[in-house]
Amino acid sequence: MESFMGALGLYGLGTLALVWPKRLELAAHYVSMGLAVIASLMVLSLSLLEIMGLGTGGMLQLGRYSLVVDGWAAAFLLIIGLSGTAVSIYGLGYGRGYLGARIRQLAGLWNLFLGSMVLVVLAGDAFTFILAWEVMALVSFLLVNHESEKKQVVGAAYQYMVMTHLGTAAILIAFYILGSGAESFAFVDLAHSELTPVMKHIAFGCAFAGFALKSGLMPLHVWLPNAHPAAPSHVSALMSGVMLKVAVYGFGRFVFEFIGADVFAYGLIVMVVGLVSAFLGVLYASMEKDMKRILAYSSVENMGIIFAAFGCGMLLVAMDKSYLSVVAFTAVLVHSVAHSLMKCLLFMSAGAVMHATGTRNVELLGGLLKKMPWTAAFTLIGSMSLASLPFTAGLVGEWLTLQGMMSLAFEAGRPELRLLVIFAFILLGLTGALALGCFVRLYGVAFLGRRRSNLVLKAHEMPFTMLCGMGLEAVAIIAMGIMPAPLVNAMRQILVDSPLAIPAGDFIGLWWNGGQSEAVFNPWLIMIAGLLLFALLALTLGSHKVIVHQDVTWNCGTEPTRRQQYTATGFSKPLRRAFDFILKPRRERVFLQRDHAYFGRKLHYNLMIPDQFTDRLYRPVEHIMVRLADTLRIVQQGSVRLYIGYTMIAMVIVLIWGGM
Amino acid sequence: MALSFYHAALQAVILLLCAPLIAGIVNKTKAILQKRQGASIFQEYFDLWKWWRKPVIVTKYTSWVFLAAPIIYLVTSIMAAMMLPGLLAGSIRFGDAFVFVYVLALGRFFMTLGSLDSATAFGGMGGSREIYISVLVEPAVMLAILLNASRYGSTMLSQMVIDYNAFYFTVPAVLGGVAFFLVMLAENSRLPVDNPDTHLELTMIHECMTLEYSGRLLSYIHLGSMLKMLSFLVLFGSLYLPLPLPIAVKVLLSALLIGLVEILNNKMRLFKVRVYLSAAVIMLAVAIIAQ
Repeated sequence: MESFMGALGLYGLGTLALVWPKRLELAAHYVSMGLAVIASLMVLSLSLLEIMGLGTGGMLQLGRYSLVVDGWAAAFLLIIGLSGTAVSIYGLGYGRGYLGARIRQLAGLWNLFLGSMVLVVLAGDAFTFILAWEVMALVSFLLVNHESEKKQVVGAAYQYMVMTHLGTAAILIAFYILGSGAESFAFVDLAHSELTPVMKHIAFGCAFAGFALKSGLMPLHVWLPNAHPAAPSHVSALMSGVMLKVAVYGFGRFVFEFIGADVFAYGLIVMVVGLVSAFLGVLYASMEKDMKRILAYSSVENMGIIFAAFGCGMLLVAMDKSYLSVVAFTAVLVHSVAHSLMKCLLFMSAGAVMHATGTRNVELLGGLLKKMPWTAAFTLIGSMSLASLPFTAGLVGEWLTLQGMMSLAFEAGRPELRLLVIFAFILLGLTGALALGCFVRLYGVAFLGRRRSNLVLKAHEMPFTMLCGMGLEAVAIIAMGIMPAPLVNAMRQILVDSPLAIPAGDFIGLWWNGGQSEAVFNPWLIMIAGLLLFALLALTLGSHKVIVHQDVTWNCGTEPTRRQQYTATGFSKPLRRAFDFILKPRRERVFLQRDHAYFGRKLHYNLMIPDQFTDRLYRPVEHIMVRLADTLRIVQQGSVRLYIGYTMIAMVIVLIWGGM
Repeated sequence: MALSFYHAALQAVILLLCAPLIAGIVNKTKAILQKRQGASIFQEYFDLWKWWRKPVIVTKYTSWVFLAAPIIYLVTSIMAAMMLPGLLAGSIRFGDAFVFVYVLALGRFFMTLGSLDSATAFGGMGGSREIYISVLVEPAVMLAILLNASRYGSTMLSQMVIDYNAFYFTVPAVLGGVAFFLVMLAENSRLPVDNPDTHLELTMIHECMTLEYSGRLLSYIHLGSMLKMLSFLVLFGSLYLPLPLPIAVKVLLSALLIGLVEILNNKMRLFKVRVYLSAAVIMLAVAIIAQ
């Protein structure tokens, strides 16, 4: 525990970059980001020790505030440490682009952000938790708002601030209900909180709403696709890759320790919300053109998958089949680690692309692979992982999720449960295939083919620090993809030791024999066979006579132009049409010139796919609020005499009431 | 382990050698039913040999992804063939049905990237449609796995082999079989979803993606897709076809059936595929509930 304080101390030192003199701002940046790297490495190694059972564990009491580390916390500290290290190294290079644009604030707040996330996970009582949670929210708001010269950024930042505080309020209410039942706010006491069923339902509802909002589940996701792209890229990486997982941590703490999963409906709600978020998230991701918005919506998808697995585990616990729930809960942890790796990697490469070309719009990119080969290779690994393909971490998480759902199917004696399982597999199938399409589109349009605009001409490979950050994540993705057994077993052990005390299934490596099911996933063997065959076939292309280079692609006898390539919008057109009843695309077509029905036309064309939740849920609510405020204006005219009149009327009413 | 690897490799080699023959038989069936003489059933071997000897022409716009894609496609098809149950003593324990699906998805991922890399409208069109079809197919595939897995208590393909004593022409067996047949047609770019015979840009999906490939790379793609079709036929025969016959006979019968279905149907409009695959999904859902 004391060593974690050391890491927190280093983050604290890093935060001091805020007060360095202006003329030393570059030095402040390097020192502070360097401290973040060291501190994150410390968190990483300490959490690994803790997971392996070699840690010191324990708790630390500082007045009212207390810090505790246990298995569940250690799993999330691992995520913070791993991605924190890689993204901080990347930030050393990427942050330089903000020289003269409040670079000290960026570096200082970066440390504070990482430190506050560590603190949230370490918190041992509700006060510490809420304090750290609030610091995390405010610091991330400031980081989102960093480029506050842009009007869009400010809008996104304030939307984020309002939404995240709604979430904090919900979590506060949940803590208050639990605390009043336990008459203490320490986590150990909250676990024994005695609540009436109604209060318990309210507490669960508030906690789920709060954490779902923070992790961007639908319909509470509206801030996410705006806020994450608005932040500087390394901040987006940390927000999407790590901060969303902190919400999973909090939700897990509530479910495992405080509220329990013994009510059937809890698991059902969590699972359905997760599944719907997964599907709609990736559907919107496949329609976006902005690289970072694609990634943000894909985060909604992956958080949906994580919560779907969580809900599946809760359902199994509620049905007294907790020995089966271990797979689903392991999927939660493993997919959290996997998503953190791949999402950080892709946000970093989006940052690299922006750095190189100045745009995030994939329609203006193309052919980047030749200009930035290393970035392209790392991005390919990240994209494969997000499409959950073999050899990558993505498939490990996805496979465990599917197996978790399968354990539910084996127990689905009840007909309504059978319908739920069918629904789950349909949505997970759609999600998986759409994710593949989404990242083929992103990678193919941005990195392959020919350039779509001259912005690509000035693209160049990234400096070493940025490549190093991306490379670390890519290596971690591959390592986890081909040797998942150590991590998966460690995560399972955490759950076995958790307060839910899930009995250990027969779970050797990734060979799983639990309940009635037998499932095997042997990535190591897949890799050996795949590489052997690949090498064999690649050798047949080795000789110079086999491959003859010619000038241009065949194009029916004409010279192909760059504009004849498929665009990202065109690529997703069939999907847009197949799912138009959900997406409701709108197009604007204005004819600037129309001399003839077919020739000499000039038109302005705009395709919009507005987020339906914003349009149909939030806008009406906003409208009603404004209307209400307008109505209230009638009684609030600003005249002192009127207010004295109100006081008098109120007094008279009180006197009459009191007399009765 | 070593023994099962040997068996699996042998199984993949046998399937690889038979795949062009099965494709030839489908083509011959179609020809006979259309009152044509048609090419020999060994024609596919000659075609592969022809492409193998020809040089590969690559455009200057492409990158290494374009060259790697056909190889990865063939590799994933071979790996899928190694995972199939039932032919020899045992298939390799790479993984279960989900891993089977995702191994094939790896091949699709790279083929679509390769199609976008050729930098023309043709490639992109093929890739875009391929993704569209795969999105619609995937729920049915997942339900097909769910149907058999919840019946036999395992997601391993080798455990899912159809059990005639318990599962002989029952409602779920028949519905599952029909639905899987529909899925198989869509997954392997056959009529009525895609037309494997034409190179007209209005109809083609798979052919559209391969348009820019030539020579040895083209032979890899064709071999890969023929092997993929044979793997699906084996899967259909051993997992879903409720007939107590040897697997080779079942594969031959289903190949003839594909030929028959192909001459009876036209290519359907691209956006009608949604309805076609919804039918498969509904049938599978009913089969699961009826179980």
